[in-house]
Amino acid sequence: MTSTVLKIDNIKKRFGELEVLHGLSLEAQKGDVISLIGSSGSGKSTFLRCINLLEIPEEGDISLSGELISLKTSRSGVRSAADPKQVQHLRSRIGMVFQQFNLWSHLTILQNVMEAPIRVQGLAKAEAKEIALEFLNKVGIADKQDVYPAFLSGGQQQRAAIARALAMRPDAILFDEPTSALDPELVGEVLGVMRRLAEEGTTMIVVTHEMAFARDVSNKAIFLHQGLIEEQGHPSEMFTSPKSIRLQQFLSNTAA
Amino acid sequence: MDWITNWLANSAIVQDIITLAKPATFNLYFALISIPLGFPFAMLLALGKNSKNRILSTLSKAYIYAFRGSPLFIQFFMFYSFALSLNRSLWKPWGIDEIVLHPLFLGPLVLVLNTSAYAAEIFYGVMRTVPNGQIEAARAIGMNRWQEFWSVTWPNTIRLAWPAYTNEVVFLFHATALVYFTLPVINDQKDLMNKAGELFEKDYNVFLHFSVAALYFVAISMFIFFTFGLVQKYLSRHIRKEERQKFRFKPNYMR
Repeated sequence: MTSTVLKIDNIKKRFGELEVLHGLSLEAQKGDVISLIGSSGSGKSTFLRCINLLEIPEEGDISLSGELISLKTSRSGVRSAADPKQVQHLRSRIGMVFQQFNLWSHLTILQNVMEAPIRVQGLAKAEAKEIALEFLNKVGIADKQDVYPAFLSGGQQQRAAIARALAMRPDAILFDEPTSALDPELVGEVLGVMRRLAEEGTTMIVVTHEMAFARDVSNKAIFLHQGLIEEQGHPSEMFTSPKSIRLQQFLSNTAA
Repeated sequence: MDWITNWLANSAIVQDIITLAKPATFNLYFALISIPLGFPFAMLLALGKNSKNRILSTLSKAYIYAFRGSPLFIQFFMFYSFALSLNRSLWKPWGIDEIVLHPLFLGPLVLVLNTSAYAAEIFYGVMRTVPNGQIEAARAIGMNRWQEFWSVTWPNTIRLAWPAYTNEVVFLFHATALVYFTLPVINDQKDLMNKAGELFEKDYNVFLHFSVAALYFVAISMFIFFTFGLVQKYLSRHIRKEERQKFRFKPNYMR
């Protein structure tokens, strides 16, 4: 028994005259871990940002647990949310973890994790704190709860950012190259946390350059090339016997 | 120890310091009314200028431009003559002419309008430098515009704008010296500059009286720098020491 969390249908995105996504679709069932791979400029990050409408696609539909997010087109052809509240609800149900962490610098780690449950979900402070501590424990930085982000390593900051996303108890989490800004020796601790989340059944969509993670952890991989899905399938097949020449080239380049 | 009390009683400087204590309260009054009222108004103007709403941003821009573009001195004159011209048709019939035309009302009014334009420009400039990633994180977690403002924009803006805003507060305090150059003095409600001028006219000792008046300005400015510096320190508590050096507070003692 599976249920569809996210359904993304035929997303097209233009920046000015340049169309960067030429119609991408994706379906995430509960518990799916989907890796988006591809060389830089292939549109992976833009696609991810279209899912929670940080970028508004010119065409295409997004539905969360069967509910279609309605978008309207103005007379000048600019698309925007028909109902901002619906988009805010979508975003509160889908967490996002950024390459640059983007923690709120003036708040301590604990306050960072508590902020959205209090402001967006309207939880009481005590309740929010309890939840925040639970997730800080889970990512292993509860001892740093009263520290400001600037005093932490990149890996600790990224784990705090993951806790911040988790504290909203989202239906799915989007990861936008979560380890790309980290020193090599810190990559492992973040991937370890993500691996654990995947094992617990968290629905995740991950843009990544970590091929080992994509191969071992995800149950679906999508290879993007120039704004199109070049190949997709189960990572064990895709990584061992890639069908398209481009994926073969990509894999041999990343392995080297 | 008699000579000390003697000296204190006869010293011209001490006499001036005592005489100018009450006038100093008028400068303080103008500043203490104008700063807290100007601050929220400036923040609203900055939000207006930063707004996507064309009408709102144009109005805010025009306001800021008008008040930054013209001398404060002339703004006092204009508001005073404007208020006078409406006296017979409005204030008198309404019975509020005593209040509206009183320098203790009109002075802070013009100061608020003026300082909010300057402070708004500071806040607006800073708002645009608030780290975009932090704003994006707020949006991505489902905050609406208002929540995003209180969670991210406001705290960042205050911290980044604080040193520049401190200078604006001190400038405003110095600008209170202009109030009674344009508005009428009622009874003996004289401020520092006015009283110093009065003392000067008696003995033509320009050096003494204006120096003591300046002493009051310097001392109170010092107090402002000190307290605002403490606030800045508090606002920067989340920044690492080596980074904090870059934000070091450089007071602007002279305009």
